Amino acid sequence: MTDELRVSVERRDNGAILYTKGYINNVGGEEIANRAYELMEEDVRTLLLNLRETKIVNSIGISILIEIIEKMMEKGGRIAFCCLTPVIHKTFQIMGLANYATIFDSEETALQELALQ
Amino acid sequence: MNMTAERQMELTLPMVPDIEIAAARAAGNLAREMGMSSDSIDEMAHAIIEACINAREHSGSADRRIYVRFVGTSPGNGTPRIDVWITDHGKGFSVNDARSRRSQLGAVHKRGWGLSIIEAHMDEVEISTNEDGTTIHMVKYEKQS
Repeated sequence: MTDELRVSVERRDNGAILYTKGYINNVGGEEIANRAYELMEEDVRTLLLNLRETKIVNSIGISILIEIIEKMMEKGGRIAFCCLTPVIHKTFQIMGLANYATIFDSEETALQELALQ
Repeated sequence: MNMTAERQMELTLPMVPDIEIAAARAAGNLAREMGMSSDSIDEMAHAIIEACINAREHSGSADRRIYVRFVGTSPGNGTPRIDVWITDHGKGFSVNDARSRRSQLGAVHKRGWGLSIIEAHMDEVEISTNEDGTTIHMVKYEKQS
């Protein structure tokens, strides 16, 4: 019935990009968290989440994204997002996620600003 | 203004994981037929998803069903309106308590954002709740261009 979330990872020299495809609900959020925590264990400290193929999120999924941001901040790293639909961007702002993670319109801008090579 | 009901739909959905997607898609199809913009449909869909999740996760209903009703109306000037009712036969809840659970980064409890999201994405929200259940009535208007 639903768009089960798929996550793919692209490693860069000084960080990584996570591409999501599908619904970020509790299951999808946990999938992203598992991949993000694996990367943190590998000393990745700059993580970009590209949500260009995610059209639906829910508050449980976003609460898990907030947990990922907190863990990354504890490690002195940072997480950013790019390519959000207008409604997902608005939902991130409602939940305060936008206060703690930078949101970029495009991946190109994000890579430049984050200096991800 | 002569407001005539043009489309109606009623669904009874089991409280199973991801059932909220079925409700959101049904509403989206109706709204698309009514000429609503994709941005407005997306906002309405996210509000419906949160309302269904609240019913599924928190209502404690014995019948484990969500009753959904959509009515699409148009005043004839190309600005449709969609009314949505999401009902459960659960134990009800305190709206003030639910609002006070809104959390912040760093808080142990990160849930409780459903109502905030619903209110931000819809133009009108009315909650009727008591020990026999809860109905959230939400309205989405197409913005006049």
